[in-house]
Amino acid sequence: MIELRKGSWSLAFATLTLGFLLAVQLRTTADTRASVPMQRAEDLSTRLTETEKERDQLKQELAALKSGGETGADEEVRMRAGLTPLVGPGVIVRLDDSSRKARAGEDPNLYLIHDDDLLKVINELRAAGAEALSINGQRLTGTSEIRCAGPTLSVNNVRSAPPFEVRAIGDTAALVQALKMRGGVADTLKVWGIELDIREAQDVEIPAYKGSLTYTYAQAAPAEEAAP
Amino acid sequence: MILPLLGLLAGLALGFLAPVTVPVAYAHLCSVALLAALDAVFGGVRAAADGKFDDRVFLSGFFSNALMAALLVFLGDRLGIDLYFVALFAFGLRIFKNLARLRRHLLQRR
Repeated sequence: MIELRKGSWSLAFATLTLGFLLAVQLRTTADTRASVPMQRAEDLSTRLTETEKERDQLKQELAALKSGGETGADEEVRMRAGLTPLVGPGVIVRLDDSSRKARAGEDPNLYLIHDDDLLKVINELRAAGAEALSINGQRLTGTSEIRCAGPTLSVNNVRSAPPFEVRAIGDTAALVQALKMRGGVADTLKVWGIELDIREAQDVEIPAYKGSLTYTYAQAAPAEEAAP
Repeated sequence: MILPLLGLLAGLALGFLAPVTVPVAYAHLCSVALLAALDAVFGGVRAAADGKFDDRVFLSGFFSNALMAALLVFLGDRLGIDLYFVALFAFGLRIFKNLARLRRHLLQRR
């Protein structure tokens, strides 16, 4: 082997440092390798618990619905709650953003559909006696919101983008008249070039409400004996 | 030759036992320093084989090379120049050169 007499100690010191560096580097590399799968596992486990929670909620809902069926929940009550798909004569109103471009200095928002435009349409239809309503396939119930969510519209916490299709079941003539009333909703929207197309149909199909049914905060108050 | 090997083992043990880790951001600096150190050690062994070993030259080269390599790579990071690969290339080349000479030396000694 190589003879080493005078440099032995310094070389030993150098190799000691080298070994230390080597070991630290090895451990660091091992750490970073191990940490990625660890993060993935954590991610997966949180997703699992979330999904389990959702599943339990769905189970509960299913059980509630089943027991409702056994006790013979009134079909009309279910209809009113929006739990059954409906079909009947009515109108299909299609709304789309204006194709007109805003001129320089003008507010481009004027030429877009907003939640209040849709609210006006819905309100008008309700006033005309619409029995069931939906927007882009979302059934309107007592708790449905109609709200701007950025460039989209949120109904039943489901977002959709223009064009919007409002379906209503009711007295077709009355519904159409309510919308086309002079100075009414259709007139106002047309000023801004918003496209509003009203179509009468004999078999308007309105889907059932698909959202959650459980109440977290509200509970039935004890029945009052006599109305005040 | 026993003493440097013992030193290496002691260093490895120390590194594994000591609660020191390099932050991920500086891991590649450490790896360059490690390569420089490796190069210096091989160079030292080769010099010893040639009978030209000098304590002062060796130790100064060992530390200054490792530190300078890490510093250069660090500066390169700040300036957007990938000196990391340059350092890897340079030290890698030197390690292989030293190894080749060491091998030749051992074969001739026989």
